[in-house]
Amino acid sequence: MNSKLELKIMDEPQLKRDLGLLRATMLGVGGAISAGGFVTIGYAAGLAGYAIVPVVFVSGFISLLTMFSYAELGTAIPLAGGEYTFSKVAYGGLISFFTGWFEWLSNMFYTALSAIGFAYAISYIFPQINIPLMAVIVVIIFACVNLRGVKATGTAEVIITVAVLIIMAIFVLGGWSYTQGTQTPPSPFPFSLIGTFAAASFLFDLYLGGEAVAASQAEIKNPGRNIPIAIVLSGAILIMLYTSVIAISVGIVPPAILKDQSSPIAFVAQQAMGPAGGILVTIGLAIAGLAATNESIMAQSRVLYAMGRDGYLPKQFCKVHKRFCTPYVAVIVCAIFTAIFTATGLVNFVVYAVNLGFIIGFTIVNLSLIKLRKIAPHLKRPFKVPLYPLTPIAGIATCLFLILFIEPSVLVLGLELGVVALLVYYIRMVGYVRIRIALGGISFGLGVFAAFAAYLLSNNIIVLRDAPAGVSTLFLWILVFISVVQILAGLLHVTASEQ
Amino acid sequence: MRIRRTLSKIFGLAQIAVGALAMVFAFLSFYNIFGTQTILGISGESAGLYLWVFIIFGLLSAISGIFLLYEQQT
Repeated sequence: MNSKLELKIMDEPQLKRDLGLLRATMLGVGGAISAGGFVTIGYAAGLAGYAIVPVVFVSGFISLLTMFSYAELGTAIPLAGGEYTFSKVAYGGLISFFTGWFEWLSNMFYTALSAIGFAYAISYIFPQINIPLMAVIVVIIFACVNLRGVKATGTAEVIITVAVLIIMAIFVLGGWSYTQGTQTPPSPFPFSLIGTFAAASFLFDLYLGGEAVAASQAEIKNPGRNIPIAIVLSGAILIMLYTSVIAISVGIVPPAILKDQSSPIAFVAQQAMGPAGGILVTIGLAIAGLAATNESIMAQSRVLYAMGRDGYLPKQFCKVHKRFCTPYVAVIVCAIFTAIFTATGLVNFVVYAVNLGFIIGFTIVNLSLIKLRKIAPHLKRPFKVPLYPLTPIAGIATCLFLILFIEPSVLVLGLELGVVALLVYYIRMVGYVRIRIALGGISFGLGVFAAFAAYLLSNNIIVLRDAPAGVSTLFLWILVFISVVQILAGLLHVTASEQ
Repeated sequence: MRIRRTLSKIFGLAQIAVGALAMVFAFLSFYNIFGTQTILGISGESAGLYLWVFIIFGLLSAISGIFLLYEQQT
């Protein structure tokens, strides 16, 4: 197993290792604090009431359980691709393809969510803008940034993320001083248990960011040290940030009012700090939307890059630009799909799709960790998950539990996307000969279908009503012709496979 | 081999043509152009079902035809 891994690592086309600890941490934080995430807080507060504060804290803790697994696998398997690569090494075949497929789709939806969130945020200041058009423009701009190279991406990420953190710190301090002496701290009791779990499931996307560090591991300096520290550090920063922002928010505006706001945090800021506060937070959310769009375009392109590298998708996806050392084909393809989807502006659909995809991904990461501990015990692991196997098992259990609270319509959507993945995998992986056999069978079937229809027509079992004279005979001969063509084509397919 | 190659191209083209015509016919019947629904005895309620049947038939035929037309030469 180890020798196989070493071989795979040697085969990896080399990307530039440009990201240090600060940039890697900011990649995790910047990816998570998207405008879309802050917009969903209002709806979640409506579900959980004042219990939203412990819910956000516990959600962060649940996410951290799996982040430990990401850290261990990220340092043990220094290849691009994140959870897709981990599942490929642990399981291979269809499971890894499914993981990569859902990881790419989730990141694509997340990019769209971030871009749409940005557009909604700035519409608070410029209400006349066209939201889908603005979101598409953002996607195109950050695709260009990612085409230029990871150094430009990492630098932009640090600047943007630090700016957002400063604005959120101002919001927390301003809100805290507003509540002093005027409000009593709200109690989370009584609360609805179902609503609390539903809110936890809905807020799953808040902490999606740490896994982007693992996905970009091929570009991080000294990965054995920096990846685990960056993942844990970004998780801790996010827990502190979200818990304090939401505690302040529900302390100023009751959840029942908060849930009806299109931009709940900006609304709270306006109550506490006046119109200037609302505008400041809107600017922060807009910047957060940009940061998340930037990071998620990078993450999704690396998934396509890895799937192309492994032959699950066309090899063109792992082409690296000679000058910028970036997987430019993957970036362009991701940008096209994301731009198309962003143009629809379907926000709620996107949030649910993101959460389902990442819950599946998190579960598979934990399973991969357990499998690799068994089949590759001597694999070099610079970082090990604490309290193994309790930590990954707890991660799996909580993820599976949260699936129960996802919208049923989204679960159906997930099933449909799974069927599409199966089709793509079959067409890509079964090989040319077997596809020809399948097409032969299909052609035979179509031929028999046409012959049966011709038989029914010739025996007047099917009658063409009100048809002019001769049309019935014409239809009969057309059906016979189609039947002959399809059966002979089927024969050609089957004999081609024998060659 | 040359005969087989020629046959593959002929039947490939025929399958693509049949597929394309089936898809065109699907829309003719769905929108009842030239009174096709009346001629075929298709009720308005089941027009959608016939639309899908003809489209799937046409797509499968066209895909099969494309594979025949661009058959890999060994």
